[in-house]
Amino acid sequence: MPTDAVNVSNLTKIFRGHIGRAPFVAVKDLSLTVKEGEVYGLIGPNGSGKSTTMKVVLGLLAPTQGATSIFGCDSREVESRQAVGFLPENPYFYKHLTGEETLQFYGRLCGLKGAALKDRTREMLVLTDLENAANRRVAGYSKGMLQRLGLAQALIHDPRLVVLDEPTAGVDPAGSRKIRDLILSFKERGLTVLVTSHLLEQMQEVCDRVGIMAHGVMVREGRLDELIAVENQTELVLENATPAMLEKLRALVAQEGASISHIGQPRTTLERLFLEATEEKPAADKKSA
Amino acid sequence: MINSAQPSPRGNGLSRIWTLASATLTQLLRMKVLAFIGVFCVIAVAFGFAFPVQNAEQQLNLLKGGSFGALQLFSMVIAIVSTAILLPRDLEDRTLYTILSKPVPRHQYLLGKYLGVMTLIGIGLALMDGIFSGILYLRENMVFASEMASLKANRMDGPEEVAALEALVQTHGLTWSVHAGVLAVFLKAAVIAAMALMISCFSSSTLYTIVISFFLVIIGHGQELAREFFFQPHLSVTGQKIAALVLSILVPDLGMFDITDNIIAGQSVPIEALGWILGTAAMYVSAYLVVAHLLFVEKEL
Ligand SMILES: Nc1ncnc2c1ncn2[C@@H]1O[C@H](COP(=O)(O)OP(=O)(O)O)[C@@H](O)[C@H]1O
Ligand SMILES: [Mg+2]
Repeated sequence: MPTDAVNVSNLTKIFRGHIGRAPFVAVKDLSLTVKEGEVYGLIGPNGSGKSTTMKVVLGLLAPTQGATSIFGCDSREVESRQAVGFLPENPYFYKHLTGEETLQFYGRLCGLKGAALKDRTREMLVLTDLENAANRRVAGYSKGMLQRLGLAQALIHDPRLVVLDEPTAGVDPAGSRKIRDLILSFKERGLTVLVTSHLLEQMQEVCDRVGIMAHGVMVREGRLDELIAVENQTELVLENATPAMLEKLRALVAQEGASISHIGQPRTTLERLFLEATEEKPAADKKSA
Repeated sequence: MINSAQPSPRGNGLSRIWTLASATLTQLLRMKVLAFIGVFCVIAVAFGFAFPVQNAEQQLNLLKGGSFGALQLFSMVIAIVSTAILLPRDLEDRTLYTILSKPVPRHQYLLGKYLGVMTLIGIGLALMDGIFSGILYLRENMVFASEMASLKANRMDGPEEVAALEALVQTHGLTWSVHAGVLAVFLKAAVIAAMALMISCFSSSTLYTIVISFFLVIIGHGQELAREFFFQPHLSVTGQKIAALVLSILVPDLGMFDITDNIIAGQSVPIEALGWILGTAAMYVSAYLVVAHLLFVEKEL
């Protein structure tokens, strides 16, 4: 049996309260596994303990109870971080460095040097579409660029697992879609992804499995298609249907003992509409990037 | 407890520490910390030339006194303030998360930060030592020339008088002890920075770290006084020793780094004294860094 990419077993995290404040249970008896090669989405309202769980997985916080591991290596071991890249919520970097210097800094921390470091840095800049901004100071980066630099930084040492905390938070729809596409490309390359977001629609597009957290507990978990399928319904979208034909269909449905629960025109999503409208001038997209 | 003492399989620790240190150094340099060196030049020149003083000895000692004062101030303020801003800033920007989520053991992160601050102070002091030495050397020659002129005018320029003047100017002018004094200032700053780093590992804000550090620095300088005025009159001999020991464990005995007064007075620094200072500094620095590490490993990020 292959080892799981991430294993969280019976994790409880209690923050000791400051003087005069009660301790706070952020995560309670949480268990989850992320299998190698899948995209796992952790969703839940703000304050439900998603970030806390990720920080424990990365060894940034110590578990109060339970344990977490990455590819079988306990999160408390420094080695466990060799195989993982992390994009924290709202990342920020040393503002006096350029994008390229930032990536080199993180590459060196992972033990890369010389030509390998240079090549890898270039590769990541290309991947995240930051080549044009490579020599600019991070201080002048937009939110979307910071987020993509964060992704590049997470991937610099070619990890097998990436952990992304709200990768699209605060990014405009075009930038957000770029990030979504990147996540999909990770999946194609066989990377394992653990991602949180409160943008459910996007999660729906990228995740194989999701877990829903509330108040520090896992409330639902499973394969996305199974979780959201409405089993006794079938969707049918027609083009150029005449009213007469619809009448015939209605009659047929009634005759077969089924029922129609909804007839209407399919709506485009607001996101798609926004993208189509702003796509018309591709130059504008480039600038906002 | 988070176990971070293990060596990582890829890359070696030293180059990682240096990566962190040089990032810290550039971060601090961008804050224009070394602008103080310009201020230092003004102070040194002012103390060297602006005050009319009668004799050669006073003239040179005034220059040394003013310059050493400025060196002390620079190194202590930088040691406390720049150390105090580092951790909170990384935590606020979440750069700490991206750094520590790489295979970077926490002690290497701390050492990198510390080394960055010490490199900055080292560069600053080295530059100021150079400027200071230059001005002192210049002033020494000027003083010698003017004193010679007045000896000549008074027809007192016999070989004995000239030799005496030469000796006087030499002891009070630029000697190796001046550099040893700068080294002592550096070592004191090293102890203070390590202490500030330890405090910032548990403190909740930059201001708190700065205030506590300055407070401890003041107590650290007053240990001699504490021994003299509180322990001696009230305690037995063993009691005095224990009290002094406890105090010097809790707060660094910074008074022992103050050899600059002797240097200003023109005395030379014996090599044993320097060795003793070096050893004490090493002991304090390693103790503070070990405690800092223990606190940092337990820190909730
Ligand atoms: N360092 C901390 N100290 C005390 N409470 C914390 C700390 N970090 C997070 N929390 C609390 O834990 C809860 C969960 O936070 P978090 O994991 O960030 O939620 P999410 O990422 O799901 O929005 C929040 O109520 C938050 O206030
Ligand atoms: Mg969060």
